[in-house]
Amino acid sequence: MTALLNIDNYRLDIPTFDGVLKVLDGIDIALEQGDTLGIVGESGCGKTVLARSIMGIGPRNARRVSGHIVFDSTALDELSEADWRRVRGVKISMIFQDPMTYLNPLLTIGQQLFDVITAHYRAQGKPAPAKTDRLARCVRLLEQVQIADTQRVLKSYPHQLSGGMRQRILIAMALAGEPKLLIADEPTTALDVTIQAEILKLLRDLVDRLGLTVVMISHDVGAIAALSRRVAVMYAGTVVEQGTAKSILTRPRHPYTRGLLAALPDIEGDAQPLEAIPGTIPNLINPPSGCRFHPRCPRATAICRQEKPETRSVGADHVVACHHAFD
Amino acid sequence: MSSLATMLSTETGPETEPLLSARDLTKVFHTGGQDFRAVDGVSLDVKPGKVLGIVGESGSGKSTVARMVMRLIEPSSGQIMFEGENLTAKSGEALRQTRRHMQIVFQNPHSALNPRDTIGSAIAEPFLVQTRIRGAELERRVEALLDIISLPKAFKYRYPHELSGGQKQRVCIARAVALEPRLLVLDEPTSALDVSVQAQILMFLQDLRVRLNLTYLFISHNLAVVRHLCDDVIVMSKGRIVESGSTDAVFKSPREAYTRQLIDSVPRIPRLCI
Repeated sequence: MTALLNIDNYRLDIPTFDGVLKVLDGIDIALEQGDTLGIVGESGCGKTVLARSIMGIGPRNARRVSGHIVFDSTALDELSEADWRRVRGVKISMIFQDPMTYLNPLLTIGQQLFDVITAHYRAQGKPAPAKTDRLARCVRLLEQVQIADTQRVLKSYPHQLSGGMRQRILIAMALAGEPKLLIADEPTTALDVTIQAEILKLLRDLVDRLGLTVVMISHDVGAIAALSRRVAVMYAGTVVEQGTAKSILTRPRHPYTRGLLAALPDIEGDAQPLEAIPGTIPNLINPPSGCRFHPRCPRATAICRQEKPETRSVGADHVVACHHAFD
Repeated sequence: MSSLATMLSTETGPETEPLLSARDLTKVFHTGGQDFRAVDGVSLDVKPGKVLGIVGESGSGKSTVARMVMRLIEPSSGQIMFEGENLTAKSGEALRQTRRHMQIVFQNPHSALNPRDTIGSAIAEPFLVQTRIRGAELERRVEALLDIISLPKAFKYRYPHELSGGQKQRVCIARAVALEPRLLVLDEPTSALDVSVQAQILMFLQDLRVRLNLTYLFISHNLAVVRHLCDDVIVMSKGRIVESGSTDAVFKSPREAYTRQLIDSVPRIPRLCI
C-alpha cells in the first residue's frame, strides 16, 4: 500500500528583510490512509509552516528549495491555484487553533455551513442539489460532530456559542467536502482542559468512524498522545525523530525528545524533578551547522557541529536523526 | 531543593499566622444592565514560605482573585489581610507603602515590558518609585538582579524585543523581586512560554523562593504545573471555591466530582521507560 501523504526531502526558505529563513530543512514524512500523525515541537520549529504547506496555504513568499509533497499520487507543490480548488477542502481540510477567527461574526452558523457546502459543488463544477437537500446536509454535518440541538446552533451567531462548540463547527465545515486528510493545527490549544478532552474524543471518533487520516500539530505532548498513533518530533525545521507514539514517548532516542519529555511536569506528581533544556531555539536565518540541536545538546561532539545527522532506523517504525542517539 | 523547602516550612510551624488571608471576597461586574458575579465569597490563607495554587478553567475567577488581593481591582465586598493588617482599609500612601511587600508577575512577558525602555531601566523602575536609591548604588542593584536571573550584565542595555520569551519573563520576575517583597503573586507566569522554557522558569521560581524566602500565590490553568509547584491548592469554578487542601490530597483523592473531572481531562503521556 502506498502512503496517502508522502513528504520527501522537503526544504523551504522564506526570504525576509534580515536574510533567508531556512524554515524547513529536508522533511521526510509518510502517512498511510486512516492513520494519525502528531507533529510535536516548540514555537518556531516549523510545524505550522509544514502543515500550511500541505494545505497549499503556506507563506506566499516561501521558496521550495527541494523535495515534494505528494498526496494521493498528486504532487501538491506543482498544482496551479485552479487545481488547488479541487483539492483544498475536498481532499484535504484543515482546522485551526482559534475557531472564532475563522468564523464570520456577522453570519449565522447555518448560513456559513450552507455556503461551504455550496462552494464545494461550485469548485468541482457540479450543479448544487436543491436547497432543502443542502440544508439537510448542514444538519447531518452537525450531527456528525455530535451537536445535539442542531436547529438552535444553525440559527446562532458565533459569539453565542462556546469555544468548544465553535471548534466542533469548524470540524463540521472541514468535513463538508468529505476530505481524506484532515490537518488539525493546535485544535485544542485555545480550549479549557475539559473541552479539550471532548474535542480530542470527537476527533478520535471521526478517525474510527470515517477512516479519516489526521495530521495533528501541537506543542502539547499530552494532546498529541491522546490522538496520534504515530508521532514526529520537530526541532528548528527538521524532524529529529519519528515513529509510533508508544515507541517515541516511552523510549525516546533523540536527546531533544528526551529533554522535551523531561521538561514536562507530571500530573501524577510522584515523578522526577523537572529538567530544562538549556538555551533557546536557534535563529533560522543562521541555523547552527551540522545538527541544528547541537548547541543545546548534552551529548554533542565535534561531528555534530560538522555533519547533519542522517535519519536512521532504530526499531520497527522508529527513525531518529542523531549522531549519538540513545539506545 | 524540595528538602530545603520542607525545612523552611517546618520552621514556621503549622500555627503561624497566614501572610495573606482573604475573607469572603466577592467581585460583581456590571455588564449591560446585568450583574455578573466573577468571584463569589472566596476565602483563602497563604501561609508564609509556602506556595498556594489557584487552579481553574477560563472564567473561573482565578485571575480576578489575584488582582483583588493585589488591590489592582477593588473587591465588591470582603476583606484582605496582609501581614496582620487590613489591606482593604488602606489607601493612598499607606497602600503604596504596603505594595512594595507584594508584587505580581503577569502571564504575557511580551506585553508587560515597555518596548521603549531598556531592560536596565525596567529593572530600575521599582527602586525609582519606592526608594531613594539612585546613581551608582542603583546600577549595582540592577546588576545584582540580572545576576539573580542569570542574565549577563550587558543585558541592561538591551531592549525587550532583543530577548526571548523566557528571558523577558525572568526580567519581569527580577523587577517583581527587586524590593524584596514577601509575597509574589504569579498569574499564569509560564502559560505563554514553550515547554522547555517553562521548565527553566519553574525551576528558577522554586530556587528563588528558597533563596529570597518568598511566599507565592500561583494562578494557573495547568494542573500538572500546579501539582509540581504548589504545597496547597484551591480549585475554582464559576467564581467559587470547589475544593481546597494540600496539593497531594486534592490530586490523589479529590472529594468533588468537578475536581475529578478536571484531573481526568488532562491527557496522560505514556511513562518514560529509560
